[in-house]
Amino acid sequence: MASDIDRFAEEIIETDVLVIGGGLAGCPLAAKAAEHGLSVTLVEKSQTDRSGNAAMGINYYIVGANPQEGVTAQQLLEWWTNTYVRWTGGTQGRFTNPNIMYQQWDKGLWAMHELEKLGVPMKWFDGEYRYVLDPLRLGDLKVTLNVLWLNVKPILAKAIKERGVNLLERTMIVDLLTRDDRVVGATAVNTRNGKFVVIKAKATVLATGNFARIYNGDMAQSWKYKFHYHWNPATISGDGYAAAYRAGVELANMDLTGHGMIVDELAMGYGLLIRNDGIPGKCLNWRGEEVPSRYWQSMPKLLELEQKGLTPLYYTIEDVLPDDFQKRMEVYLNDMRLATFKLAEERGFNPKTHRYEVPPPMPYTFSLVTGINVGEEYQTSLKGVYAVGDNAAGLHGAYMAVPSGFLLAENLPSIVNNTVEPAIDDAQVESQKEMALAPLAVKDGTEPMELECAIRYICERYVGMLKSEGKLREGLRRLGSLRRVFLPRLMAENPHYLMRALEVRNLMDLAEVHINACLSRKETRGDYIRLDYPEIDSARDNMITIQRLKEGKPILETREVPDLKPEYIKEEA
Amino acid sequence: MPAKIDYRKCIGCKKCYDLCPIDVFSWDEQMNMPVVAYGEECWHCGICWMECPKRAIDITYPASFW
Amino acid sequence: MAVEQIADHVITTDVLVVGGGIAGCCAAAKAAEHGLDVTIIEKSKLERSGNAGMGINYYTVGAMPDEGLTPLEMVKRWTEGPMMGATLGKGRFTDPNPMYRRWERGLWAVNELEKLGISMRWFDGKYRFVADPFRLGQVRVTLSVLWQNVKPLMAAAVKKRGVNILERTMVVDLLTNKGRVVGATAVNTRVGGFIIIKAKATVIATGIFSRCYEGEQPISWKYKFRYHWCPATASGDGYAIAYRAGGELANLDITGCGFRHQDELTMGYGLLVLNDGILGKLLNWKGEEISSLAQQSASTYAEMEEAGLTPLYESIEHLPDDFHKRMEIYLKDMRLASLKLAEQRGFNPRKHRYQIMLNKPHQFGLVTGINTEEDYRGSLKGLYAVGDCAAGCHGCYMAVPSGLLVGDSIHSYVNGAGEPVIDEGQVENHKRAALAPLSVKDGTEPMELECAIRYICERYVGQFKSEGKLREGLRRLGSLRRVFLPRLMAKNPHYLMRCWEVRNIMDLAELHIQACLERKETRGNHIRLDYPDTDPARDNMITIQRLESGKPVLEIREVPDLKPEYAKE
Repeated sequence: MASDIDRFAEEIIETDVLVIGGGLAGCPLAAKAAEHGLSVTLVEKSQTDRSGNAAMGINYYIVGANPQEGVTAQQLLEWWTNTYVRWTGGTQGRFTNPNIMYQQWDKGLWAMHELEKLGVPMKWFDGEYRYVLDPLRLGDLKVTLNVLWLNVKPILAKAIKERGVNLLERTMIVDLLTRDDRVVGATAVNTRNGKFVVIKAKATVLATGNFARIYNGDMAQSWKYKFHYHWNPATISGDGYAAAYRAGVELANMDLTGHGMIVDELAMGYGLLIRNDGIPGKCLNWRGEEVPSRYWQSMPKLLELEQKGLTPLYYTIEDVLPDDFQKRMEVYLNDMRLATFKLAEERGFNPKTHRYEVPPPMPYTFSLVTGINVGEEYQTSLKGVYAVGDNAAGLHGAYMAVPSGFLLAENLPSIVNNTVEPAIDDAQVESQKEMALAPLAVKDGTEPMELECAIRYICERYVGMLKSEGKLREGLRRLGSLRRVFLPRLMAENPHYLMRALEVRNLMDLAEVHINACLSRKETRGDYIRLDYPEIDSARDNMITIQRLKEGKPILETREVPDLKPEYIKEEA
Repeated sequence: MPAKIDYRKCIGCKKCYDLCPIDVFSWDEQMNMPVVAYGEECWHCGICWMECPKRAIDITYPASFW
Repeated sequence: MAVEQIADHVITTDVLVVGGGIAGCCAAAKAAEHGLDVTIIEKSKLERSGNAGMGINYYTVGAMPDEGLTPLEMVKRWTEGPMMGATLGKGRFTDPNPMYRRWERGLWAVNELEKLGISMRWFDGKYRFVADPFRLGQVRVTLSVLWQNVKPLMAAAVKKRGVNILERTMVVDLLTNKGRVVGATAVNTRVGGFIIIKAKATVIATGIFSRCYEGEQPISWKYKFRYHWCPATASGDGYAIAYRAGGELANLDITGCGFRHQDELTMGYGLLVLNDGILGKLLNWKGEEISSLAQQSASTYAEMEEAGLTPLYESIEHLPDDFHKRMEIYLKDMRLASLKLAEQRGFNPRKHRYQIMLNKPHQFGLVTGINTEEDYRGSLKGLYAVGDCAAGCHGCYMAVPSGLLVGDSIHSYVNGAGEPVIDEGQVENHKRAALAPLSVKDGTEPMELECAIRYICERYVGQFKSEGKLREGLRRLGSLRRVFLPRLMAKNPHYLMRCWEVRNIMDLAELHIQACLERKETRGNHIRLDYPDTDPARDNMITIQRLESGKPVLEIREVPDLKPEYAKE
């Protein structure tokens, strides 16, 4: 319909599929959807060639079920639920719907071949698939490939352009557009020229990745440079989570944070590579005594070690380096983390003689089971909007992002065909534009990073690793003050800073959701520690924490996680 | 936020520039007015605001001090 | 002389006072009264420099014969009182004899202050004693004072006595000759002139040291200079120059715990409550009252945190109307900025509480500083230290008498001292090192390096220390020193000041960590996770650090007892 939007929107786009976020989930999805003949628009805050977690490269990829190698989806699911989640902060048990993951593992090989069709290499230098030994504690399952993915993003970017995806880069989402209980698109702003964009879409897919910025990174804190979160680009301000939440979509498990794994930048390069190459490094306490992994992979155990005066912990590969390791290292570092290699050289780091520190326990990013709550078709609790990759609860990691993107793309044609033309609510667009652009008019206001640091301080100090009710309440109270007083004062002298102001708005919303979730979880479970509730509450077993806005009011409920479907279990027999 | 100067009220008496313990100001000879030169060093002690005879300087506490 | 060619300015004086705070001004004024030529160098401006820049509202006099309060009693109550006990733990850490003499001359010091033009009286013209802010027992010994303008008054007094004042001038290093301190080099932080001061005696009065830790308040992105009443000028310049010249520093292992301050509001309201002797109520987050603040320590706070009872709050909601009125007077007199913030935040002490206490070290003081022998002599000839920068001489009520006592007696040293002889080579070294950051391009900004140092202290030292962390901290600090100190850059003399401050902070952070490594025990707020018991071998011992032939040396020395004639009183 010829609408009034034309008056103040500077660009209106109509598309079948709107993909928000051009990372490892968004790009495969966009490419596939375009192949199916749909019109696809992809909105990306940075530049697709080098955006997201994979921007600097990745060096491993868990394929999925592989009958030839005797790997089943069931085995992988068990590994993920019983080992990996526990290892990275959760505890045994389910926090998200296992069927989604099952189906992804099941179609893993297919997804891998689809990637290859997009031009992404899955083979080693020698032209063969190269399996690594057990970097993620998968036992002897032959399932994880070493991949040379320094340029995976440029390849994917090229693939989507070749398939006619309409790419809007340096464009940040403002909010989702809704009408009649349905998402009909989104508004966005160009972070270089400030152009306000309205996108009408039959299906909107959120793929903005992980979320971290309400805590400081776990690395040494710089004065000025506040955007270091290891491989996570600083773009991970939870834009997808926040836009979804504000539109009324359910978020899951916002109480659970992943703890910091890496205190030293060197660990990023070397540590990660060692792990991913399956080399069994050793963890030592400061006296040089070996510490078994079950100790340093659990927060409570780490805290115990700290209390006993045995920290810091160090990781070493000094005595286990095979001869060719140094060469392989260099290959990796040149392939995946050039910057780390450079730092190592500057610091004179030699993995044959030096160790790097394993971090103290602290939250800095959110857990593998946190995100937008999705069902088996990647649908969220609101019609018209979907979530894939790190944006979706329980679908974290490159090897989850890719299949989720492809699988949803397979369903998009029928979704789009069964969706009527979206109708936009003009008033909603107008109000989103006004809110979004307001910081440009503020003089002598607050710089976004100043407010962001204030939010981070609240989370560090009043939430943190060792939670308790009084602190959480105080944190919520202070956050409320900041919202009331400083959010309206956010100022942006240009569209770049407007992006930062919009990010901070997202952080503020999500920090509040996070603290509310923590207040509600009155137990200690795995790495989630409540000083005032030191026991596990079995009523929380296999429960997912759900939060959403209902008529503008935040509500929280816990819901039982679905069981694995009988047909999936039967497979094992 | 560091000291904010209302140049309409400022009479160029130099008190803020003279007295700041942290040396946040520089002096613009041409305009005969103070300039916040090292704003990030302001520690919000309020001495400039206290001493200004015309209340031409204001300090507001930034988000992180709340 | 060749030094004239190296320097932009050469000054010859009898007494050089480094730091123009309360202690420094008292020392300078008194020394000038004895006819000596005195020069003060001050990093900021005398009128508003130092801890007293914004005002103070209390002053503990000392021995009060009319009240039956003897110097011995004062020493006992001060050192054995619950506040010191909670913070420091058992025993003596510094020589109690100078403290005895300060308390003994307390009334004299008050008299001298009044002669300097500083009023000690309340609005009604009378002396107004407060009830027991330091938990000394029910004695009339601490005055409420209206000292918003104590510094401008002291500055006027000092100028009136003909003291030569060099403001916006920061000391670079002490000049020494054959083990004697013969002056200092300095730079004007606005125009950059390099200055040599030749002095027969040098009195260091630079105040406390805090900047190797973050402040106790919420940490800002940009604004890194917030330490409550401690001006950010507290970069330990005096400690560091004394150390580099070969002087002794004491008790750099012992930090003050930020036990009172979490909220900026605590500064205004909380402090005044404390100093007015009014007892606010200390509450846990559930609103249950807990025992007084004076009895809280890092350990008790940690226990409450473990039990999920934090944050803690102080409430003065229950206090009578006239108290709140007095509050407003105080806040207008002493901490206008706090009152402003309270207004901005809508804080109403009749209805609201402010958060209190955070378990982290944030400053040195109390028993840390330059180690002085009798009469405030540092361990080098010609060197003296007074006020907060002298170990065991902490607080305005110690700054004043120590400054006055030195000022009053230093003429005997000066009159017998030979002309200071300056080593040109030393001056050239100072100048080269001092001005180097001006020629560094694309280097490191001082605050970036400072934050890296602070992070090390927060993370690897902190409140709950242990050997592994301390060692790692020392190692990382060493890396920073090796790589980044030479890269410090300054685009003008103001930033040059920041570079030297960072150099001082780096030196002191290293000493701090080494001292903590040595103290293998838990005592007061010094908590070692790996040594949870108190080591009796450390009772009444002082930690001393100094450079010997360029190498750092640490020794633990017995603290003298009170002299028999004092003890038997």
